[in-house]
Amino acid sequence: MDLVLQLLFTGIGIGAVYALVALGFVLIFRATNVVNFAQGEFSMVAAYLMVVFSVDLGWPYWLSFLLALGGMALLGVIFNLGVYYPLRHRTFLPVIIATIGASILLANSVLAIYGPQPQVLQGWFDTPGIQLGPVYLDSQYLLIIAVTIALVFFNYWFFEKTLLGKKLQATSQDKEMASLLGISVSTMIMITFIYSAVLGGLAGILVAPVLFVSIQMGSTIALKAFAATIIGGFGDVAGAIIGGLALGVIETFGAAYISVPYKDGFAFLVLVAFLIFRPQGIFGERVAEKA
Amino acid sequence: MKLTRRDFAAGIVAGLAAPHVITGARAQGATIKIGMCAPVTGPAAESGRYAIQGAKLALEAVNKAGGILGKQAELIVEDDQTTNPGIVLAFSKLAAQSDIVGFLGSIRSTQVHAMAPDVLKLGKPVMIGGTDPNLTHMGNQWLFRFRPNDSYSGRVIAEYGVNTLGKKKWAVLHSTDAFGTAGGKALTAALEKLGSPPVLDQGYANQSQDFTPVVLAIKQSGADILGSYFTFENDLGIFARQLRQLGVNIPWVGSPSIVNITALKLAGPALYNTYGVADYAEDSSEASKAFGKLYRDAVKVAPDNQSSWPYDAVTVLAAAINKAGSTEPAKIREAILSIKKFPGAEGEYNFDQNGDGLHGYNIVKNDKGNIVFDKHIEFND
Repeated sequence: MDLVLQLLFTGIGIGAVYALVALGFVLIFRATNVVNFAQGEFSMVAAYLMVVFSVDLGWPYWLSFLLALGGMALLGVIFNLGVYYPLRHRTFLPVIIATIGASILLANSVLAIYGPQPQVLQGWFDTPGIQLGPVYLDSQYLLIIAVTIALVFFNYWFFEKTLLGKKLQATSQDKEMASLLGISVSTMIMITFIYSAVLGGLAGILVAPVLFVSIQMGSTIALKAFAATIIGGFGDVAGAIIGGLALGVIETFGAAYISVPYKDGFAFLVLVAFLIFRPQGIFGERVAEKA
Repeated sequence: MKLTRRDFAAGIVAGLAAPHVITGARAQGATIKIGMCAPVTGPAAESGRYAIQGAKLALEAVNKAGGILGKQAELIVEDDQTTNPGIVLAFSKLAAQSDIVGFLGSIRSTQVHAMAPDVLKLGKPVMIGGTDPNLTHMGNQWLFRFRPNDSYSGRVIAEYGVNTLGKKKWAVLHSTDAFGTAGGKALTAALEKLGSPPVLDQGYANQSQDFTPVVLAIKQSGADILGSYFTFENDLGIFARQLRQLGVNIPWVGSPSIVNITALKLAGPALYNTYGVADYAEDSSEASKAFGKLYRDAVKVAPDNQSSWPYDAVTVLAAAINKAGSTEPAKIREAILSIKKFPGAEGEYNFDQNGDGLHGYNIVKNDKGNIVFDKHIEFND
C-alpha cells in the first residue's frame, strides 16, 4: 500500500506538469485550429529566463518569476506576430510547420547563448519535501499540483464568468461570427498566444527545480503533453488536465509494475488506443472533425 | 636600363621556377602534422574545447623538447560537429592531406565506430578515447586507445564494492543505450565472477523525468550497494536526488559520469560519499599532478578526462614517431605497441597488441563535493 501511495503521488505530480503544458496546446488549438509545436520550448525559455534573473543576476525569486512570466508574455506577442499572423489565411499545415521551425529556432538560440550544460534552479521552498507516514511528498511536486488545481478553477472563472473569456471562447468557436459581433479576432488570438506562452512558461519554471534546466526539457515534456491533449480530448480544457494526470499516473504505475525502460511506451500505447477506439478523447470532439 | 632578350628569357625562367623553389624550401622546413577531429560545434562543443586545449598543451611540450624527428609539430583541427556524419566528413578532410602522419579521433565510441572503416582504408594511426571494448577488438589495427575500456570499469566497480567495501548484494542500474547496456553487462559479469550476482539488474531509458519506480525497486530488492552506468548527467542528478529523498542511503559506485563536473553541480549533496571510477584523477600519479597543474595554469579550469586523453595521445604519438625514426604508418604502429611503462596524465601506458594502452581505473570518492583519489586498480590480463 505504501508503494501504491508513493507511486500515486509521483504520478499525479508528473501528470500535473504534462497537464500545464497540455493546457497551452489546447488554448491555441481552440483559437487557431493548429497545434503549436513550440509549446514545449516556451517552458524551456521561461526556465532559462529564471536562471538568468534569479541565478546569474541574483534578483529575488519572486521578482525573477514575474519578470520571466513577463518575458513569456512578450514572447507570446512576438510568436503570434512572427509565426502565426503572416500565415493566418493559409491552411493549418504551413502554420504547423512554422511552429516546428520556431521551436528549432528557440532551442538553438538558447543553446547558442547559454551553451549545452544543464543548469540548476532552486525551488520555491527551502524544504525539499515532507514525510507523511510512509509517503514522501516532494515540495515542488506539491506546488505543481496546487497550481494545476488553482488553474482549473481560474480557467473556469476566466472563460465562463468574464467578458474577455467569453470573447475568447466566441472567437475559438466561430471567428466570422465573432467578428460580425464586433470582437477583434486578431486581438483575441494575440491574447490567446500570450496566455498560452505564460502557461507554458509557468510549467517550465515549476518543473525546472525537479528536472533541471536544459535545452531538451521542453521537447521531452511537450511530447507527453501532446499525448495528454489527445487522450483528454483535443480542444477541451478539462480534458487536457485529466489527460495529463492520467498519463502521469499510467506511466508511473506501468514503470513500477511492468517495465521501467518501456515507461514512455505506456504513454504512447494509451495514446494509440485512444486514437483507435475513442479518437475524440475523454471529453473532446473528434480529431478528424477538428482537422 | 635596356632590357635585352637574354634578360627577358632569364626573367621568364626565374618566374616559372620561383614557385617550385619556394615550395621546395617550404618542404625542407616543413612541420610534422597531426590531424584532430574535435567537436568545435554541437552539444559537446564545450568538452571539445577542453580536448583541443589538452592536445595543444602536449604539442607545446613536444615542440619545446625538440619536436618530432627534429621538426616542429603542428595540429590541424577539423570540426566533427558532435555527430557521426560530422566526424566522417572531418576525418575525410584530414585524410586528404597526405602530409598528416597521425590523427586524434573521438572520445565518443559511436563516432569512432562511424569513422573506423575510413581509418582502416587510410591505414594511418588514429588515437581514440571511446571506451567501447569492441573498438580495439574488431580487426582495425590503426586504432589506439588512450582511456581504459569499459570492461575494466565494470571489473573495477565490482572489485572495489565486493573486496574493499565488503558488499555482496548489488543493485545494478544502467541506461538502456549502447554505453549503458555494455557497462551493465560488464559489471554483472564481473560480479558473477566474484560470486555476488546482482539482486537487481535494472535498465532505464535516457531522459527519464522520474525515477521513483526505480528507487522503489532498489529499496524492495534489499540491495546493500548500488553500481550504475548513467549516460546523461541530468538523469543522474534526478535519480540521485530521488534516491536520497526516498531514504535509500546504501553505498554507490558509479561509472565516470558520477564524478563529472556537471553531475556534481546538478545533484549537489545527493552525491556526497558516493564512489566513482575515473580514468583521470589528478592525485593518482606524479604525471597526473603535473598535467593538472599545467592545465589549470593555462586554461584556468579544472582538468578532466576530456583534456587528459588528447594530451596523452599527442605525447605518446610524438614519442612513438621519434622512437620509430620515421613517419611510415607501420613503423609508428610498431613503436606505439612497444610502449611500456610510459607515465601519462591518464595513467601508466602499457600497450597491448589490440591497441589498448590502459588496463585499470582509479577509484575516487565524492567528499562533500570534492573528488578525492582513493586507489588505482590495475589488471594484467
